[in-house]
Amino acid sequence: MSFLWLVGHNVWVKKVRSGLTAVAIAIGVMTVLALGIVTESIRTTAAGVLEVGSADFTVAQRNVSDILQSSLSEVQLGRVGAVPGVASAVGVLLDTERLDAAHPLVVEIGIQPADLTPFGVRIVAGRPYGATADGEILLGSRLAQDLDVRLGQRVTLAGGEKIVVGIYATGNVFGDSAVMLPLVPFQAWERQPGGLSLLFVKVTPGSDVAAVEQRVHDSSPVLVGIRNLLEFGRANRDYQLITAADRAATIVAITIGAIIVMNTMLLSLVERYREFGLLRAVGWSRRRVVALVLGESLTMGVAGAALGVGMAYVVVRILSRLPDLEGILRPTYDAGVFARALLTAAAVAILGAVYPATRAARLAPIEALRRE
Amino acid sequence: MSSDSAAAIDAVNVHKTFDRGAVRALDGLTVRVEEGEYVAVTGPSGCGKSTLLHLLAALDRPDAGTLHVAGLDLAHLADPNRYRREQVGLVFQLHNLLPHLSVLANVEIAMMGTGVHRREQHARACELLEAVALGDLSRRRPPALSGGERQRVAVARALANRPRLLLADEPTGSLDSASVGHVLDLLRELRDRESTTIVVVTHDPIVAAAADRVIHLLDGRVAENMAAPESTGA
Repeated sequence: MSFLWLVGHNVWVKKVRSGLTAVAIAIGVMTVLALGIVTESIRTTAAGVLEVGSADFTVAQRNVSDILQSSLSEVQLGRVGAVPGVASAVGVLLDTERLDAAHPLVVEIGIQPADLTPFGVRIVAGRPYGATADGEILLGSRLAQDLDVRLGQRVTLAGGEKIVVGIYATGNVFGDSAVMLPLVPFQAWERQPGGLSLLFVKVTPGSDVAAVEQRVHDSSPVLVGIRNLLEFGRANRDYQLITAADRAATIVAITIGAIIVMNTMLLSLVERYREFGLLRAVGWSRRRVVALVLGESLTMGVAGAALGVGMAYVVVRILSRLPDLEGILRPTYDAGVFARALLTAAAVAILGAVYPATRAARLAPIEALRRE
Repeated sequence: MSSDSAAAIDAVNVHKTFDRGAVRALDGLTVRVEEGEYVAVTGPSGCGKSTLLHLLAALDRPDAGTLHVAGLDLAHLADPNRYRREQVGLVFQLHNLLPHLSVLANVEIAMMGTGVHRREQHARACELLEAVALGDLSRRRPPALSGGERQRVAVARALANRPRLLLADEPTGSLDSASVGHVLDLLRELRDRESTTIVVVTHDPIVAAAADRVIHLLDGRVAENMAAPESTGA
């Protein structure tokens, strides 16, 4: 009989209690995972636009709640373009629109045709739109395929029917699922003449990107530079709030899970006083008794993690079909998700079992063996 | 048992009190038990029999006096768990088997953490269960056994680590007379075959009569120290 066998056996002989404890852990894991997946998915979706423009960094309005609602101007674009170290700056105006049930959140990018190439856009079919051609658009290759729309066909968006004059590719999934429109007519439709959402900046070869980014910020404190997802998280207040809520919910879920595990393990301890007393009487060290209790808790934790991953998958699928989140929630299940599930379950299992395990190890054998 | 052989137990003026001195369990107890001796400790309830057993098992420490087992000073043991694991086998009145484990696992559990390979643990447990005539029942669980069979399992568990000292607290207290006979035979065989020192706390005159020597305690001291009737008569 091995120690691990004994751990598993002790969990197995109390099937109902072990099962319920695993469910409690699973609920904690599910909460943490579902929130984490939703938060990450929202961040990835919202930040996807930043990765479209092949820029060294993106400039947005500081302290904006949603980065897509960032409000800048062509005047600011000109100032940024003049900052030492900036090779080029492309300004775009962004909005989102629901095309149909299958495409509830299509990103519209207003951009000058002259900026398409610096922005990383490659026309794969047709031609670019005219700078003031109100009725012309470019469709991303993925979106065109999804909509089954070809060159010359019409699509209704941005206030009217538009002719698809070109299909483009950026090499970015998010960018290839968007629509590009001539900037000036789009500004007019959005009632933001001269308005921009984001500026995509390239620095001169050999320049320090961080230093240039800092100079842009210094040139106007209302501007913030974003180089990566981390900086996106700092710049986007909505995301900060979601992240804070995610963290708070994680702490609450782990705490509640740990309390439930502790309660179960304490009940188990009371039932097993004589058993622990006996183990100590036959020479088991305190450390071995602690390892036994923690091992049992961790076993239930692993079962809870597996169950929690399944429950989180179901919950996220349900959430992704809610009208408010449709198109925004694009969950990905990578190794990090499973690692997070295991870590959460381990945290719940260990935090919940430390006190009961310590008490079990500290039981005086004589007293424990006398207990009924 | 010759008086010049090595002492398995050497207790000198041992004191142990409880409830902040209100209860004197052992009051200057002095006793010597030789290696391989089979000793019964008798006396009325509260005379200190179980306390003596607990001190010998290092489940408790004496307040004063010196207590040595196999040369080890039990008042200053650095690792009582190791001492219990390596030197002592314990048999309780209520056998204290784990009901959810098989008979075999109940014996093996005493060998966990001893460094003995799992295969050897298994072989040793099987050998012991054969020795106590329970080889056929090794897969059963304790609730499926009779009282006598359970106590034999407890004896097998106590012997798992080849202890130099076997301590038994009323080992026949819950058994019928036939089972008492089996357990006593087992203890005698053990003494004869392995030269294990055996200390049995008992109220039962039949159990006491099976020992080499009977130590009668009264008020925490040795009142009488005599050869058992059966031993003298043999």
